[in-house]
Amino acid sequence: MSGKAISYGQIWDIAIPKTVDESRRWVLSAMQSHGQELVTMLWRILGNEQDVCDAYQNTFLRLAHYEGRGKPEHIKAYIFRSASNTAISMLRRRAAERRRLSSLGVLTDQRRRAAPYSRDASSPANEIDSKYLQDALRCCIAQLPEHLRNVVTLRDLAELSYAQIGRILGISSATARVYRCKAIQLLAVWMNKEKEERK
Amino acid sequence: MKTIKANKKCGHIRTWLYEAISSRIRFDTDWLQHHIANCPRCHRRVISAGRVNLALMALKSQPHKLDLLMRANTQAIGVLKHSLRRAPKACKLKSMLPEPKLLTRWGKYAHPAANAVACLAILLLMKIGVFSSMDKFQRQSQKVVKQYYASHVGQEMADEIFTA
Repeated sequence: MSGKAISYGQIWDIAIPKTVDESRRWVLSAMQSHGQELVTMLWRILGNEQDVCDAYQNTFLRLAHYEGRGKPEHIKAYIFRSASNTAISMLRRRAAERRRLSSLGVLTDQRRRAAPYSRDASSPANEIDSKYLQDALRCCIAQLPEHLRNVVTLRDLAELSYAQIGRILGISSATARVYRCKAIQLLAVWMNKEKEERK
Repeated sequence: MKTIKANKKCGHIRTWLYEAISSRIRFDTDWLQHHIANCPRCHRRVISAGRVNLALMALKSQPHKLDLLMRANTQAIGVLKHSLRRAPKACKLKSMLPEPKLLTRWGKYAHPAANAVACLAILLLMKIGVFSSMDKFQRQSQKVVKQYYASHVGQEMADEIFTA
């Protein structure tokens, strides 16, 4: 009797990991097929390697715990939207932190140099400084309305086609084009305004 | 249902319109460039859009370390279930390096491949009868000319000319 119980127990112990492996293996497959594109997109949004790793981890953790351990219908769409949202939240948090520190006067000269997108970074050299432009653009992208931001992120930072963007966001490719055009117009206005304020 | 169909049609028309306009009006068209040079408002808009494009290009061209994908995978796998962490695929992902896309990798062979395809197409055309139909055409025209000669200078003469 006890022998039987032991053997059942052993079967049970072996069976659990195998079924878990089988049922969640698609998470690793998703990581393999979309990981590279995702890292590129996150790097372009965040520009900081540790932040990229954190956002990437967060994305796959969410995927692994998707609605009671189910599987999303469109994995690529889910991953890209989730990663983009996480990255934008981090960007906003970073900008808010920087504003808070700068208002408190905590930023030292050295940190100001490391954080070029601050209101008093007004040296003429900044105009052609690509780092400054990148940071300004990141801040402006984070302020865009969600529907425009998603399109810009997927089109310009993840370099997906309009057809793919349409499928991911559930819109037509023509609408995606229109949104991108509006987003670029808005970004241009904001970046121009910011430049004039600095003057 | 009707609304969905109409929306789809509208979307197709919009895409078609966009493609039609962009194929006809290019940014480097003379009249457009002339207008931008003389209109201060458009001039300002183009400069602003150019600034955004420049910033986007700067973002795209900034390289990251080669092992970033590897580190990101390792960190992400580290928080997954134990069974997944020990899967063979996970070990492979932990040492994964970025690879160029297939299109980029094989892009340099595009030109020679296009030449080879063109040669093959010519060979195929030759095989399936472009040249054989030219032969047919030549034979037919010879027949017509022979008939003309036969009616004007006589059958014997025509035979003599065309058999020689």
